[in-house]
Amino acid sequence: MRRARKARAPRPNPHELMPPEGVPISLEVAAIGTRIAAQLTDLVVTFIGSVALVILLVVLKVTDPDTIFALAAFLFFAIRVPYYIVSELLWNGRTLGKRLMAIKVVAEDGGTLTAHALVARNLMKEAEIFLPATLVFTLDSASPLASILTTLWILATLVVPLANPRRRRLGDMIAGTYVVRLPVPILLSDVSRGPVPVRQAAGQGFSFYPHQLDHYGVYELQTLEALLRAGERPKGGAAAAKNHAESLAAVIEKIRLKIGYPDPVPEAERQAFLKAFYNAQRAHLEQRQLLGERRENKFHASAEPAAAPDATPAPATEKT
Amino acid sequence: MMTDDATLIRSARFRKEREASLSRLESLVARAETQGLHRMSFAEARDLAELYRQATSSLAIAREISLDKALLDYLEALTARAYLSVYAPQERLGGLVRRFLTEGAPQAMRAAWLFVALGFLSLGLGALAGYLLYFDSPDWYHVFLPPEMAGGRGPEASTAYLRSVIFSDGEDQDGLGAFAVFLFSNNTRIAFLAFGLGVFLGLPAILLTFYNGLSLGAFLALHVDRGLGWELGGWLSIHGVTELSAVAIACGGGLKLGAALLFPGRRTRRAALAEAGRDAVKLAIVAAIMLIAAAALEGFGRQLVQDTTTRYTIGWAVGALWLAWFTLAGRKPA
Repeated sequence: MRRARKARAPRPNPHELMPPEGVPISLEVAAIGTRIAAQLTDLVVTFIGSVALVILLVVLKVTDPDTIFALAAFLFFAIRVPYYIVSELLWNGRTLGKRLMAIKVVAEDGGTLTAHALVARNLMKEAEIFLPATLVFTLDSASPLASILTTLWILATLVVPLANPRRRRLGDMIAGTYVVRLPVPILLSDVSRGPVPVRQAAGQGFSFYPHQLDHYGVYELQTLEALLRAGERPKGGAAAAKNHAESLAAVIEKIRLKIGYPDPVPEAERQAFLKAFYNAQRAHLEQRQLLGERRENKFHASAEPAAAPDATPAPATEKT
Repeated sequence: MMTDDATLIRSARFRKEREASLSRLESLVARAETQGLHRMSFAEARDLAELYRQATSSLAIAREISLDKALLDYLEALTARAYLSVYAPQERLGGLVRRFLTEGAPQAMRAAWLFVALGFLSLGLGALAGYLLYFDSPDWYHVFLPPEMAGGRGPEASTAYLRSVIFSDGEDQDGLGAFAVFLFSNNTRIAFLAFGLGVFLGLPAILLTFYNGLSLGAFLALHVDRGLGWELGGWLSIHGVTELSAVAIACGGGLKLGAALLFPGRRTRRAALAEAGRDAVKLAIVAAIMLIAAAALEGFGRQLVQDTTTRYTIGWAVGALWLAWFTLAGRKPA
């Protein structure tokens, strides 16, 4: 008998969403704490709304004091449910609380959020969050079975979001949605651009040989980018500037030692040297990447042989 | 100064060529997010979609050829924001409500008729069991209806008292208050629990509905025992037809979810749950609408209408209206 072995698919990255265009988009899954904060904000908003309505009804003498609590509870419910659905529908998956916390609901299939999805996830919210929350207040020691069941229910609804990588609650699963953090697009300048530094003493730029550029990878390059950026826009006082100058010097010494650059770099040309090195290194690494060899970090040379055997699949054992 | 294109490295040229269109996309996205797509002009909306698609391809290329972290981060974030505003829901609220009432709800009810029937069945069986058990021994009454829930209406109450409750003129409560109190009564809780707990394999939904039927049956039996069966029927009918149907429908929705988990077929359980959710959610909304209608009938109708025959007529006429909605609306012309 031959048993078909299920090939284990690689686990998809939870922070990536595939839109219809077919280019995966990075959207970071919202943290649980952020979502709770948004939830609390929404609760406060709807609570204030219903209290205002109740006060209005009392002032207008439409109701009498005996039933005011039942009426308030009903109004809270009748405001809360449509509030979540309508606000998420009109504001593209964001309630007031979510706007404040810069998170939003997205559809996991990469399509448009449908009305059905929003209704489903918010109706389930009633069963998942609000119902157990109100049940907590009715717990008493007289009925241990009910208490245990309620506790189990609450635990189950708490565990579900923690047990899946996209932090989805049951309502999200039924609706096919999850919640992401809104990314903020900020375009920083291109470090490689701007005046190409000219070496004053020799009258020409710094130049590097290809073998000198074979030491580092993407990680080091982007760390250097951050360092150069800090040098371009100095912040803080004299102490910070001195600190930065010292780290520049240290970095340059390390690089010179590693790549075997013979000439010492005078203090005035440190930034220029690093910029020239960044440009040369980036051009070199980008070319390697274009040729199919992406170098993640300076350990790329030692990592290569180890990575090779992974390409050949392990021989499958077959039972006959 | 040597800043002409020839001295730039390839990825820097790549970035320079696209910066203008990317910043235009950024401003369009900001407008779409603050005003909404439908308030933008045609040209702007077209440019947004066009530039978004360009940005996705730029992103795909940049991931391959560029090590400029600033550009990569910006492109990732901008493309994501643009994606979110391009694929924002464009439905109007009014259209949604109309579509739900005329098509979605009745179609879902018909599609899930088996589960709704199961809901009615468990309610009916429960009522039958409660009814028979009461005649077996009246002690069962307080097992099904704890004294604090029965409100003094138990086997120990006098027939006169039972009659007075059925025909109370309701001076103790105004309409709105009774409406609200009703909504937080036992049956609403049961309906919600039955739907919500249906996810847990459907059993709790059946048990709860059955239990609801048990107390109903025992309550009915008590009044039949005292010769008040016909009067109680009227008292219950005016809102009960709507209300108990809502409980059964909510139970049906819960069962639909539970069945999807139990018998997913060839799909994954999650996919089955998501698919069942489409109908189940509509059933839940229908149940909620019916509960509100029942509350209105209870709050305003029961005190005004004291005649038993009229109570029957109103209750079952409303029930017939619900049935007509579920069976007739939203059918495609053959």
